[in-house]
Amino acid sequence: MSDTEDLVVGRDRRPSRLRPGRGIFVLPPLLLVVVLLLGPLVLIALYSFGLRSNIPGTATTFDTSNWKDFLTGSGNTFRGLLWHSLGITLLVSVATTVAAYPLAYFLSFLAGKHRYTLLLLLLAPFFTSYLLRVIAWQVILNENGVANSLIQALGLRPHGEAVPWLIYSNFAVALVLFYSWIPFVALPIFAVLENMDRRLLEAAEDLGASRTATFLRVTLPLSLPGVIAGFVFVLIPTTGEFITPLLVGGTGSQLFGNAIQSFFVDSPDWNYGSVLALTLITLVVALTVVFGRFLTTDLREPGRGTQE
Amino acid sequence: MRGTRAGRTALWAYFVAFVVFLFAPLVVLVIFSVNDSTTPTLPLAGFTTKWFRLAFGNGELTGALVHSAEIGVVASLVATALGIMASIGLSARRLRLRPVTVAILLLPLVVPYISLAVGLLILMEALGLPHSLTAVALGHVVIALPFSILVVLPRLRSLDPALVEAARDLGASDLAAFRLVTLPLLLPSLVSSFLICFTTSFDEFAIASFLYPPGEPTYPVFLYASSRTPALLPEVIAVGTIVIALSLVLVLAAAGGRLWAERRIEGRAKGQAQAPGDGADGGTGGGGSSTDGPRPATAPAAVTTQSA
Repeated sequence: MSDTEDLVVGRDRRPSRLRPGRGIFVLPPLLLVVVLLLGPLVLIALYSFGLRSNIPGTATTFDTSNWKDFLTGSGNTFRGLLWHSLGITLLVSVATTVAAYPLAYFLSFLAGKHRYTLLLLLLAPFFTSYLLRVIAWQVILNENGVANSLIQALGLRPHGEAVPWLIYSNFAVALVLFYSWIPFVALPIFAVLENMDRRLLEAAEDLGASRTATFLRVTLPLSLPGVIAGFVFVLIPTTGEFITPLLVGGTGSQLFGNAIQSFFVDSPDWNYGSVLALTLITLVVALTVVFGRFLTTDLREPGRGTQE
Repeated sequence: MRGTRAGRTALWAYFVAFVVFLFAPLVVLVIFSVNDSTTPTLPLAGFTTKWFRLAFGNGELTGALVHSAEIGVVASLVATALGIMASIGLSARRLRLRPVTVAILLLPLVVPYISLAVGLLILMEALGLPHSLTAVALGHVVIALPFSILVVLPRLRSLDPALVEAARDLGASDLAAFRLVTLPLLLPSLVSSFLICFTTSFDEFAIASFLYPPGEPTYPVFLYASSRTPALLPEVIAVGTIVIALSLVLVLAAAGGRLWAERRIEGRAKGQAQAPGDGADGGTGGGGSSTDGPRPATAPAAVTTQSA
């Protein structure tokens, strides 16, 4: 549409107008990201290969021993932690996606004209402080917390005997992550369902497909891009998660992000910490590249205008 | 035609249950903010407002809130300004290395905050800069920038280029055309951008925890520290309640206002583009009917970008 307009309005005038040099505006924001994001990434890489050190007077030479230790050292704690972390992350991502699908389906197919209001209701908690919500869960899951009080009041457990795995456990970490991310997964699935051509469903019904068959063979396949987008929306941020385990996790339920943090705070070894930090970045960027096509944000082609 | 009555009821119940699940922790915080006990445990101990009084008498707590608010405002203004620039640049017809530019600008979306935080820590050490609230704000600009672009760019693209050309034909300079035509039309998205960036910054823990100057924590850093000090918990909860209430009001107002503004603008554009009589409806009408054409893409897009 805009192309035809250009023809009509006069392509010949364009070069002298706004268009030329417009791209130059991208430079200041680009510079910021290069200096404050790519710069630090390069420094992390240098640290991970021993080319820099935070301890004054230490010799800095190219050294792959930290990488070797992490990647191939037998029974390396941090590699184990990475697998454990990925397991939790994957579990949470699958659980949120499965649980969010019916929410999105409900909003798109059953909620009628109030669906945006209801969607907002679902999303609203997401906009309140993340840390506060985790603290709220701490209050709920605590040894003397709301959950244990209720369980004991209902007589499910004797008084004064808290359920041991309710807090400072993998369960608590997974539950809070599930809680935090579910609205965010429902969103892309909802968006895909909303933009689906409903006539396809009618066609399926007209051709004699049962409701189940229509769902499994039309709705579900068509909504897969949204499902995968939602899945990745959780997978990527939770892979680097470290706040939730700090607050509701125990010693056995820390995640990979916590190891990175402790290498830079508690027992400073920036070189080894950089190996872990770079591993995390590489992993997440790889995930994004693999799933990237499901996350298209329409930024690539200019002037998409209305669909022809 | 949308499933059996039992199926519909089940989905309704499922949705309601999830909304309860999502709001329960927030409700728990509200309840304990007025509970007359030093520990947030059941049974409840009677009503009090003393935690609010104590909290606002706690200089460290109010100081942390002020720091976060300041950082939030500065970072959001800068991020939104840079977001406008990036959007103008990216909407250029021809842009060299567009895919790389887009990738770099959006990279902060995927790089885990913990990795970025340690990277910035290393960068500051390399440059010999002291920890400061300015450093925290700069870090927040980096992570907020992609959100701003994702909100502003689609809006910029949806504008009719003829409007700017008309302004130019009437003798406006590039700058005047931008200030008098483009900017007012972008306003709803700029407000959204500011709010999303502010929420992101106000809530950010990882970068702040690595870069804050000693004795001057941001609100999340203070929250984290005091969640480990049981004596402070009731005060933290009291302030948390206020923060949650404010953010909910803000989100609802922003979403409502934005939807309203876009419908108005689009309704007008539609009214002009189409024969009168059709298309005045903003698109939510007749939600239950499957014979609707393709849904208007703007409304879900608006919500999507809201929370991206």
